[in-house]
Amino acid sequence: MNKLHFKVGLFAVASLLLGGAFLVYLLHARGFFEGTFQLQFAASSADNVAPGIPVAFSGIEIGRVTSLGLNDEGGIIIHARFLQRNAKWLKESSTFTLDKPIVGGAKIRVDTPDLNAPALPDNSTVLLLTSDISSELPALVERVKAILDNVEHLTRKDGEINTTLANVQTVTGRMTGEYGMLESILGSPEKARAVTDSLEQTRALIIKLDGLALKMDGMASKADTWLFAEDGVAAQTRESLAQVRLMLNDAQASLQKADAMMANAVDISANVKEGTQDIAALRAEIDDAVRKANALINEINKKWPFKRDPEVKLP
Amino acid sequence: MHFLATSIESLGAKLAGWFTVGYALFAFLGRAALLLLEPSTWNRATFDVVIKQVYFTAVQILPVFLAYVLVISWLIITIILSTARDFGLTEFASEMAIRVLVLELLPFLTALFIALRSGSAINTEVALMQVNNELDALVHCKVPPMQFEFMPRLVGGVVSVVTLAGLAGLLALIVGYLAIYGVGTAGFEPYTRTVSNIINFNIMAGLIAKCALFGLAVTLIPVTAGLETPKKLFMVPVSVLRGMMRVFFAIVTIEVVSLALKYI
Repeated sequence: MNKLHFKVGLFAVASLLLGGAFLVYLLHARGFFEGTFQLQFAASSADNVAPGIPVAFSGIEIGRVTSLGLNDEGGIIIHARFLQRNAKWLKESSTFTLDKPIVGGAKIRVDTPDLNAPALPDNSTVLLLTSDISSELPALVERVKAILDNVEHLTRKDGEINTTLANVQTVTGRMTGEYGMLESILGSPEKARAVTDSLEQTRALIIKLDGLALKMDGMASKADTWLFAEDGVAAQTRESLAQVRLMLNDAQASLQKADAMMANAVDISANVKEGTQDIAALRAEIDDAVRKANALINEINKKWPFKRDPEVKLP
Repeated sequence: MHFLATSIESLGAKLAGWFTVGYALFAFLGRAALLLLEPSTWNRATFDVVIKQVYFTAVQILPVFLAYVLVISWLIITIILSTARDFGLTEFASEMAIRVLVLELLPFLTALFIALRSGSAINTEVALMQVNNELDALVHCKVPPMQFEFMPRLVGGVVSVVTLAGLAGLLALIVGYLAIYGVGTAGFEPYTRTVSNIINFNIMAGLIAKCALFGLAVTLIPVTAGLETPKKLFMVPVSVLRGMMRVFFAIVTIEVVSLALKYI
């Protein structure tokens, strides 16, 4: 056996086998062993379309444009060829869009929302949409310009945003003042002082009402001893006494109300959020309480004839 | 005026020299081709010489050559891939790698490889035979040198460059697949698509024709350069120098013309 001949023979056989295998591989890759599937696109313009541009499904190339031309009516007809194995991605619900990125070659994009839809028949004609980014660009630039103009208008020197910010500055400045949040809500230290003053006055009134109640208690006990020392008066005045007791109860209720109002007032100074409303209500209730106390004292004066001089003075 | 006349004269002489060389080259090629077509050429003896030539030109260097192709393919593919990744052009990387390696660089390097190794040897051998009157002796012994010395070398050169470039291309395709997709069959579909996009039958035929021309250039030019050698021993190195320069220019010209035909 000739070693040299064997080696050359081995080399030749191996090369031929590899070459043949590569040829078969190439034929397979180019779809020689399977059928093809034709599609025609009807387009309004053949811009950017050229034979050889890929047709891609989900970014994967499944076919290519083979030729393009005009039909008898002057419309554009673009022919594309697919391998039979890729025809399953083409359904009747598929849309075909020509994508022309700013950088890179154009391609036809296939979108198939429903893969269970009926298959597209061979040689059918479909519509080719265009989504040309470069043609949308001017419109986009116009819109961005308008937005930027608006922003510029808003942020100009005497614009609304600047005024608002200045107002916010004033409010926060007031918050750091003597009356804090109250001042920031009411607008000036004077008004805030008026609110705190009225709270002070209410407190003083309530203290006085307390004193009145104590004195009334003292008078009532005096009257008791005096009445029951001499007969007749008690019987005469029993009815009126009962009424006085009722009135005293009323007064006590009013005082309790005033107490609650006091608590509310404390809340108000702590919780300024509901402050303004509460202050109005407080004012009304204080007025009401004062009026009731006045009426009570008048009643007592009417029913208590022994002492003309009222000891209680209302603020 | 005299200077102009002499320069024109020297240009004319050079052109005439090139024409002579070119004519000799193509005349020799024509004779070899005619011989190739003759049925009587293909006897056992001629076959033996052709097989020997293929052995010495292709089979002997195969391991070294394939190792060299492996290293250079792997390096160039890696460089192309990482550069493409840096510029965000990964989708074009495999196509770029295949085009650069399989279609251009590897055939060119194969031709250079054969030219440096076998072409220079052929040139020296033929020049020495010419100087030592061995060719005349062969003719005298009714052993036509064209049939038993030159034509087998041309066939061996063409066969060797075509097969070696083909093997190198296949190896580069495999290395490219492994470098891009790793071991596994996941990338087979996209890689097949890329390969089919690049290599159509025109490209394939062009590649084979280019390799055959390379093979012819690296053997035919050294043979004719050797035959031109004046019968003086000290002219042998000059003959090899001239022959190798012509081989180099021929290889570059073939490459440039093929690129121009393909891309312009």
